[in-house]
Amino acid sequence: MLGVFEIHEPETAQDASTLLAKHGWEATVYAGGTELLVLMKEGLVHYPHLVNIKTVPGLDGITVDTANNSLEIGSLATHRQLETSETVKERLPLLAEVEATVANVRVRSAGTIGGNLCFAEPHSDPATFLMAWGATLELTRGDGSRQVAIEDFFVDLFETAREEDEILTGIKLPLLADTTGGYEKFTTHERPTACVATVLQMKDGAIDDARLSVGSVGPVPIRVPEAEGTLRGEQPSDALFEAAAEHAHDAADAVGDIYGSANYKRHLVRVLTARALNKAVAQAGRKG
Amino acid sequence: MSAELNSAVERPRMPIRLTVNGRVVETEIEPREMLLDFLRDRLGLTGAKRSCDVQVCGACTVLLDGVPVSACCTLAYEARDRKVTTIEGLEVDGKLHFLQEAFISNTAVQCGFCTSGMILTVSSLLEENPQPTREEIRAHLRGNLCRCTGYWNIFEAIETAIEQQEEGRSE
Amino acid sequence: MSGKASGLGHNARRLDARVKVTGEAAFTGDLVMPGMVHGKVLRSPLPHARITRLDTSQAEALPGVVTVLTGQDKDILDNPNYGHAIKDRPVVAIDRVRFVGEPVAAVAAVDAATAHEALNLIEVDYEELPLVDTIEKALANDAPRLHDTASLELGLFHGLGGFQPYDNICYYHKIRQGDEDIEAVFDGADIVVEGEYTFPAVYQYAMEPHTAIAEWVEGELTVWASCQHPYLVRAELADLFGLTPSQVRIVVSYLGGGFGSKSYTKMEPITAALARKAERPVRIANRVDEAMVTTRRHNMTCRMRTAATADGELIAREVQFWLDTGAYADNGPRVVATAADAAPGPYRWQHTKIDAWGVYTNRPPSGSYRAFGATHLQWVGESQVDEVARRAGSDPVAIRERNLLRPGEQVRPGGKPLDADLVGDVQKIAALLDWDSPKPPGVGRGLGVGLLAAGAHPVSSAIVRLEADGTATLLVSSTEMGQGTRTALGQLVAQELALPLEQIRVPGGDTRLTPYDRSTGASRSTTLAGTAVQRAALDVREQLIDVAAQLWEVSPQAVDIRDGAVWHQKESMDYPELFLKYFGLAGGEIIGRGRVQPSLGKGTYAAGPYFWEVCIGGVELEVDPDTGRVHVRKLASAADVGLAVNPHMVEAQEMGGTMQGLGNALFEEMIFSDGQLLNSTLLDYHIPTTEDMPDAFLSILVENEDGPGPYGLKGVGEGALAGAPSAIANALADIGIHMNEMPFTPERVWRAMQASGDADE
Repeated sequence: MLGVFEIHEPETAQDASTLLAKHGWEATVYAGGTELLVLMKEGLVHYPHLVNIKTVPGLDGITVDTANNSLEIGSLATHRQLETSETVKERLPLLAEVEATVANVRVRSAGTIGGNLCFAEPHSDPATFLMAWGATLELTRGDGSRQVAIEDFFVDLFETAREEDEILTGIKLPLLADTTGGYEKFTTHERPTACVATVLQMKDGAIDDARLSVGSVGPVPIRVPEAEGTLRGEQPSDALFEAAAEHAHDAADAVGDIYGSANYKRHLVRVLTARALNKAVAQAGRKG
Repeated sequence: MSAELNSAVERPRMPIRLTVNGRVVETEIEPREMLLDFLRDRLGLTGAKRSCDVQVCGACTVLLDGVPVSACCTLAYEARDRKVTTIEGLEVDGKLHFLQEAFISNTAVQCGFCTSGMILTVSSLLEENPQPTREEIRAHLRGNLCRCTGYWNIFEAIETAIEQQEEGRSE
Repeated sequence: MSGKASGLGHNARRLDARVKVTGEAAFTGDLVMPGMVHGKVLRSPLPHARITRLDTSQAEALPGVVTVLTGQDKDILDNPNYGHAIKDRPVVAIDRVRFVGEPVAAVAAVDAATAHEALNLIEVDYEELPLVDTIEKALANDAPRLHDTASLELGLFHGLGGFQPYDNICYYHKIRQGDEDIEAVFDGADIVVEGEYTFPAVYQYAMEPHTAIAEWVEGELTVWASCQHPYLVRAELADLFGLTPSQVRIVVSYLGGGFGSKSYTKMEPITAALARKAERPVRIANRVDEAMVTTRRHNMTCRMRTAATADGELIAREVQFWLDTGAYADNGPRVVATAADAAPGPYRWQHTKIDAWGVYTNRPPSGSYRAFGATHLQWVGESQVDEVARRAGSDPVAIRERNLLRPGEQVRPGGKPLDADLVGDVQKIAALLDWDSPKPPGVGRGLGVGLLAAGAHPVSSAIVRLEADGTATLLVSSTEMGQGTRTALGQLVAQELALPLEQIRVPGGDTRLTPYDRSTGASRSTTLAGTAVQRAALDVREQLIDVAAQLWEVSPQAVDIRDGAVWHQKESMDYPELFLKYFGLAGGEIIGRGRVQPSLGKGTYAAGPYFWEVCIGGVELEVDPDTGRVHVRKLASAADVGLAVNPHMVEAQEMGGTMQGLGNALFEEMIFSDGQLLNSTLLDYHIPTTEDMPDAFLSILVENEDGPGPYGLKGVGEGALAGAPSAIANALADIGIHMNEMPFTPERVWRAMQASGDADE
């Protein structure tokens, strides 16, 4: 049962930020509400002031910045928009693929990528994927914006680098050439138990650069530099992928809970890592 | 009776205008009012049901500008100046929607509690994609639970309906 | 129009399908009564505690609150406790709470938001008591007693045979067959299979949570309830409030699923009590997390051993099992007894020794869920039979062909002999799975068969009203919860009166109007209520023939009924014409009545159960060795239904039941920690989705006309649920994965593979 609140309708991101600053802990950003409203209904949190940033125009765009060779996504783009966007499917199909796996079609229709990242619920597909791909997040407040690398964004579960009065307004993804990737998740409940994303830049059949992230098993998604180091410069092979998977297994900050024991989750990470790598390489093969 | 018994808590209200099943509704709502309660309690449209209340089961599904949403987790506020379609809006002049017919003739209805949400979700899928594969249907419906049917007859109903629509189109 | 198209064996359109696809069908939560207020329940956050202070004054003072009910409102109730088997349960906690979720107070207010707010204003202080949250703790010698068992009264429908609870034992049941000294039998046996098993607490998840509206008018009570057994609820409420049963009226709309979760009383007592105090109609609707702590499936610990000869003849079975009935008995005793019946499995034993206990714990109460008892024990027993087969060098089908009981053989001492062709059913399942075909590597096949004591108590009645316009109304108190009972029973009327189903109305149960039916559950409605319905329809038919005979001045033997008309040679009158001639106006009515009751100590009624429901399933599956995830390729079911009134509806029940069984077997589990339910929403309790479906569902109707219902029909609907887990367990064992702990989650399967060295780890 929701407590009483007021809905504010700012017209700019700066106005939204000012409202957040003004009301402090009594206010929160309200976008898709897919996480927020559930928590508020359960009485776990209450905010007398909801700052509806959907009234700020221009925050849901999906465009290609050709000059900087990047994909610019407004924080209010919904999962469904990203899943179905022709631009995304053409320029960064793996993102569309990942977004299509989020929850169900209703949650995807209302839930925004910005909301997902800021809420920082540990079991997040977009967060895991963006950690691997690399992204820069634009945080805006009354007096301007700053850019934060995704690696620096997640602090702990439900906690990010966003200040209380900042609005996440945009997400920028580099459009890398000769890049392939693979995303694997394992789900037994509504949210995923384990997710692994890998992004590989291939050159002459070898892995020129590699990024690997593990999500859902611990409080925040993480990169696995040891796995990435193992992969860099090597020819793909089962043995190579096993070695990388072993690093991911060791690095996974898994917590035992109703989704599974820490031990099993780490094992899943190992399995999903090898699968994601194989997927990435197969994808590269298809592209020729 | 409610006039004599009012909560002392200040309940700010806001005006709202929306279209529900083709008819314009103008009234006042509390910002915190859920779309599901608005439709069920204020408008008497009880076809959408409250079940899990956490957006998993789909029993509360309604269409907002043609898009399926969980009315249990959507503020009525979000429907302002928009079009809501509930199950009651599918039947036109006493004639059932082809999906409603298909659910009846393929024994795809048992207790009926999931049915409103299920049919609306499928109808929105078919608007976007008139000939989905079974896998596409399966993925699209993963957020609509049914405890009674095991889903088999629901798939039958959908595929039969698609076939019949296709035949109708080619005639 | 031909009545034949709607009668037996036809896939008639469901009577309720149209109103359900349009959203018109009214469920209890859709009903609004004039002056109705909203009720909400404050529930205990602790599993075991004394209530030391309860202050509702602030809540009562909140504008918009009509009243607050607590356990101190003794004048509202005639009896503080209720319970159809054991009256161990207060309507609202009096001085002690015994599970997380137990009602501590209830608020009635002008709207839901105010009621909710009022809950937050109720102050409760608790003094925690020692926690008895597991079967093990409850059985310990020094375990705190959850109930003062000596003072417990048995309920109105206990069927316990005078058993008095003691310690934390709610009920004990035993079955003995053969030698007293079964130890010697096991010592001397060539093959002994033994094991310990655990079975989870499972949530029924009827999509409509429990809802009730109660209203008192001049000292009489009406409850619109989402209940399966209106007459039993009526009796319990009458007892609770010191009324006679007919001073209570229960009205039942469509149920959004029941599956046993709405059997007996659930939210009706508290709603009625709150309404009495509020002096206004009150509606209470559970949320899903509240429904989960209102009733659930018993979790179980079980020890079983099976003895056999070297070549696979079954000799003896010994079973001890404990069912966790939670803080209050609910239907615990019946579940224990039915589980004991299922424990031996349908085999020709020389000796059986079954000991079963229902145990009180500080967990939410456990009650009925589809195929209770059979679902608990069948997978255990059937996995042991398959193990015997392996050790004997036999095959799962062959060992069953050899040892399964045949029709007419004793199932248990004093009980109804077997009334189904189980060997035939097994062979049919095997055929569906293409049993003898080579299996691809890594693919396992399994099947499991068992029996469920079905029918409950055989008392049902029905009235058929044939009206001057040629339509019939069937008054029967079976509850439509999705299984299609209104349609099936309507088809029985259609059959006897040669009317199309579209001309038959079957309204919902209303104890003021529809006659006594014991309950809807235990797969009994088409069989038992159906017998009453058929008799009522035949009564009308006989009267029609008599009237026609009078009008035509011929002997009744010369009159026939078909196509909605009476016939004498080539002459006919449709029913409206007959009415006009007979009554002299376009009016009048012909009323038929039918009844079934236990006969006096003889025949099919007295020696229970009324019939044995066949629980059979077959599965072909494979396992992802890296993750332990089970992928079901084929799920097979045989509905041994005697005769299918509506084959599509029977199949639909099989489809739904097998999916529930699949969920129970593979992932459904209520996880408790110190009495707290950790997964109380569907985010964390996984219900099967479209993505959990097997690749293929194969089913067959078995119609041997060997049931006690009309035309040899008997009930189905539960067997499919119990069959699936037993088949899954055996299919896993077929590929070397032996599971003793259900559900067979990916992690558990993976661990089992690790332990047996099957996985690459």
